[in-house]
Amino acid sequence: MAEDIILELQGITKIFPGVRALNNVHFQLRRGEVHALMGENGAGKSTFIKVITGVHAPEEGHIYFNGEEVHFKSTLDASALGIAAVYQHPTSYDDLTVTENIFIGHEIIKNGIIQWRQMNKEAEALLARLHANFKVTEEMGALSVAQQQMVEIAKALSTNAKIIILDEPTAALTANESEELYQIVDQLKAEGVSIIFISHRMEDMYRLAQRVTVFRDSQYIGTYDVDQITEAELIKAMVGREISDMFPKPEVTPGKEIFRLENLSRTGYFKDICMNVRAGEIVGLTGLVGAGRTEVMEAACGITKANSGKVFLDGKELRIKQPVDAMKAGLILLPEDRRTQGLIQTWGLGRNVTLPIQEELAHRGFNDEKEERQLAKKYLEDVDTKAVSIFDLASTLSGGNQQKVVVAKALAQKSMKVVIMDEPTKGVDVGAKAEIYSIMGDLALQGYGIVLISSEMPETLGMCDRIYVMCKGRITGCLDRSEATQEKILELAMEQSQKEV
Amino acid sequence: MKEKSLWKKITGSREVSLVIVLIVLLAAVQTLSPSFLTATNIAQIFRNNALTMLMALGMLCVMLTGGIDISITSTLAFSGMTIGLLQKYDILHNTFLLFLIGAVIGLICGSINGMIVAKGKVAPIICTMGFMYIWRGMAYVISNNAWASGQDVAGFSDFGKDGAIGPYIILIIAYIIFFVVMKWTKFGRQIYAVGSNKEAAAISGINVKKTITSVYAIMGMLAGLAGVLSVSIYASAQPNMQYGKEMDVIAACVIGGVSMSGGRGTVVGTFLGALIIAIIAKALPLVGISSIAQNFVKGVIILAVVVLNVITQRTMDKQNLSRREI
Amino acid sequence: MAGKSGREISATPKGGITKILSWEGALILVFIAVIILGKSISPNYTLNNVLREMQKYLPEIFMMFGMGFILVLGDIDISVGSIVCLCATLTCIAANAGVPFILAALLCILIGTCCGMLNGFLATKFTELPTMIITLGTQIIFRGIAEMSLGSGGSVSYKNSKDIAVLAKKIGPFPISFFLVIILGVVMITVLSRTTFGRKLYAIGSNKTASYYAGIKVQRTRFLCYTILGTLAGLCALFLLSALYGANTTTGQGFEMEVIAMCVFGGIATTGGKGNLIGGLIAAFIIVCLRIALGQINMNTQLILVIIGAMLIVSVLIPQIKNALMPKKQKV
Repeated sequence: MAEDIILELQGITKIFPGVRALNNVHFQLRRGEVHALMGENGAGKSTFIKVITGVHAPEEGHIYFNGEEVHFKSTLDASALGIAAVYQHPTSYDDLTVTENIFIGHEIIKNGIIQWRQMNKEAEALLARLHANFKVTEEMGALSVAQQQMVEIAKALSTNAKIIILDEPTAALTANESEELYQIVDQLKAEGVSIIFISHRMEDMYRLAQRVTVFRDSQYIGTYDVDQITEAELIKAMVGREISDMFPKPEVTPGKEIFRLENLSRTGYFKDICMNVRAGEIVGLTGLVGAGRTEVMEAACGITKANSGKVFLDGKELRIKQPVDAMKAGLILLPEDRRTQGLIQTWGLGRNVTLPIQEELAHRGFNDEKEERQLAKKYLEDVDTKAVSIFDLASTLSGGNQQKVVVAKALAQKSMKVVIMDEPTKGVDVGAKAEIYSIMGDLALQGYGIVLISSEMPETLGMCDRIYVMCKGRITGCLDRSEATQEKILELAMEQSQKEV
Repeated sequence: MKEKSLWKKITGSREVSLVIVLIVLLAAVQTLSPSFLTATNIAQIFRNNALTMLMALGMLCVMLTGGIDISITSTLAFSGMTIGLLQKYDILHNTFLLFLIGAVIGLICGSINGMIVAKGKVAPIICTMGFMYIWRGMAYVISNNAWASGQDVAGFSDFGKDGAIGPYIILIIAYIIFFVVMKWTKFGRQIYAVGSNKEAAAISGINVKKTITSVYAIMGMLAGLAGVLSVSIYASAQPNMQYGKEMDVIAACVIGGVSMSGGRGTVVGTFLGALIIAIIAKALPLVGISSIAQNFVKGVIILAVVVLNVITQRTMDKQNLSRREI
Repeated sequence: MAGKSGREISATPKGGITKILSWEGALILVFIAVIILGKSISPNYTLNNVLREMQKYLPEIFMMFGMGFILVLGDIDISVGSIVCLCATLTCIAANAGVPFILAALLCILIGTCCGMLNGFLATKFTELPTMIITLGTQIIFRGIAEMSLGSGGSVSYKNSKDIAVLAKKIGPFPISFFLVIILGVVMITVLSRTTFGRKLYAIGSNKTASYYAGIKVQRTRFLCYTILGTLAGLCALFLLSALYGANTTTGQGFEMEVIAMCVFGGIATTGGKGNLIGGLIAAFIIVCLRIALGQINMNTQLILVIIGAMLIVSVLIPQIKNALMPKKQKV
């Protein structure tokens, strides 16, 4: 039924200098359907979306909208047809109000003057449709990530979008907020809007989509009905091989206590945090986004300052004034945001890996470049980084590989006893995820203590010996591997009020 | 989200804080010297700071995009010198045309600045530093060791002489135009958008390069106008006119709440910032601080204002944190 | 822990020597061109003459090294010209009041150091403030203090000119300040390119956050660099006094821009994390020798500045033009 198809792309090829980002890919969107687009990082999904929205023009191929061929010269052409995208990285203006963010590019203007009153009214109506709980006069920067996303969706709706594209919409949302988003998507679908979304999360796909298209290595692999393909088949399509053992958790008998937090508190962020880790243990720290997990670990490692409480490493109390104190004692943190906190993107891999240890290797203040090169090579190889040379720039590596470099950087610090991994597999494709879990398992076998901060249930349940759950700045419980289930974790992670339904 | 209390709204708005500071300041000065708030004095304040106030509008636009322009006084000198020489050598005496030519010279200088920043992707501080030398040098080159004296520009200087309303009219018109444009036109909002998030602006379809080039062009035009105005007010034109005064303009904007990273700042705030600095300068002698200490005090005030800003923000953040239920 | 795939990663540095030195190489060519130009347009362009006239420009180059550190950090300092003014002024006044020369000289450097420490203190305690604003404020304050010290006269002369003339002495045709530039240059260049301290500067300038997470003491490093720049400004003031024999309210005006221009022309980006002092040093000599050459043919001083301004802009446009003509391979 050709009239059912609102958008079709055939034979799309997109070439950037030296790189073929899309190679003869096809895609078909039916009217009123929710269609998932999945694939590993670097498979070409983001580029593809940019072709649909008119950011990039393809070198080859055809785009058909409602059966007619179209050529987009700019994003304005695409948005004129009713194609709107909500991106993963905020494309919002923090200093401007919600109304302005919604209407930027298509303000309501009469005689050259912006009609603020009318715009505010329409913005309010849009927000009401999405059941938003904030005002249109708020500054975008004051809103939470979930709220900002709602504004972005409102922006798409304000242009009477017929096709809305969501790029990793649940990546930064809590379980509750994700549920709200699902309802919004349902509602939009009921109103006749067609939706494409990119996500790494299977739950999103199963919950929302009717069909799923898979890209791999810039190529089109296939389109499948969601209720007719198994997860294993889907992963195989995405990765090209079978991932047999997703969570290679080795059996390790935990040694003695190696890391302990005693009543750690920081005003406004967390209170009375008590937890411990034994050698060889992988301890999970989970909870909803905003529960304070990263804040706890950053305070323990000296990145920020706790107001009270104690940190113990190997039985000894640590006096930490700056990050380097924690690092020297053996407490290593792999930060949440590998792009801005974990690595220097404009540097080579080698220099990144040896940055924390350059003083150790130096002779009277002078760098020992040869020694640094050898060490960097060793550790980068140990974690199986996909790179050609230690001089490759960090920015040229995929998310998963960059995470491996961050791990190599931690391993290079010989004093390391405890390693804290904050969302290590966020934004990492399936293949690389498995490799990171494998590295984690190896570390446990070697007797290191590992803290895994994660928002992903499968990962937490699959890799951890014990799981601490946080809610609104406090530890609400600790579950042993044998008794932990998704429901129990959620129960502990949610606020009291939300449970009384 | 909780409703913001009235107190929060008052202290949250930079403009309101500035008005409060202004009122306190005027009250303090008025008590120390009861004859301060006279019409003549007020008029003098505006006249002596007309150039800074005029150029601050341009600097506001430039800083809103996250940029800066330190070549403004050089452009001013180039334009002013040209105007002075045109009269000195009896080529042109028509007031209106002289203003027009000055503005056009400034517009061209500013556009060149803007194109190199926008298309050449050169850091604004570097680009405008280079042109600071170039335009000032041009002012010297065309003057060829001559300068325009009061006699040369007689007649023209009537426009800006003591008591004439010309300069005030220009200021008022400029501020009204910019107030409307920045708040009520698409172009104005695009400037804010570009400064707030350049990438998002590009994706939204805003021509970022054109916007950036425009703000520098506008700045240049205002500097050119200021150059002509300067010749009229001070009845002379030399190549070293207003040397070093670009910092005053930047200071006015900073005190007025314009953020150097872009996206934040208003016409009202800029006006208040410039006014506050102007009043402090005028009030210092009345408080017994000799004019020689003026610059020192100006510098201390600038630092005090920005540091106070930081401390206030930090205190507010701390309070917000302690209020969170953990 | 062996890598599961056994993949090998190369650790051999590429023949990067030619690439690293390409900007410096170009600068050397420009320098040679300037010398040739000078010789061809002015008969007085001899080594002796040039060195003699260089004496009043050399002190600024001391500051260029310190500014290079600051720019690599990603910060900026536009108050150095005012620091020079303040140091020169107070030293003159002290010396005229009877303070012995050696002490006065030490005082000069000490004042500069203190000014630098103030900048550093403000920059590190109030990290929310852009360093442009901080040093804008201190620029006005330092010069303001000098103005107050000078009183209504606005200027002061160094009475015991014989003392200060010591610094203007020469060894052969080379002034002492020339040797100081070379020695200082070798030290600063080595520190920046070969020491852990220097590497920290590049790290902070490239990504402050990641550097902090990696254990680098970011604020302490920044404080040190501002202090060093202040000290060098004091040194500059001292040698400037030996050339000018006095100070006034306009002493040092514009120095910060000239010094920044030397750094940028030498390849150091104001955004931080890039460039080195070798380029800065060559660029400094290019600018100085060019100024002397054009000055000898009596070109208008301002026109010379126009040329330097134009050179500065062209030098930053060249990499952009190169990028536009030959786009680099990039993984998307």
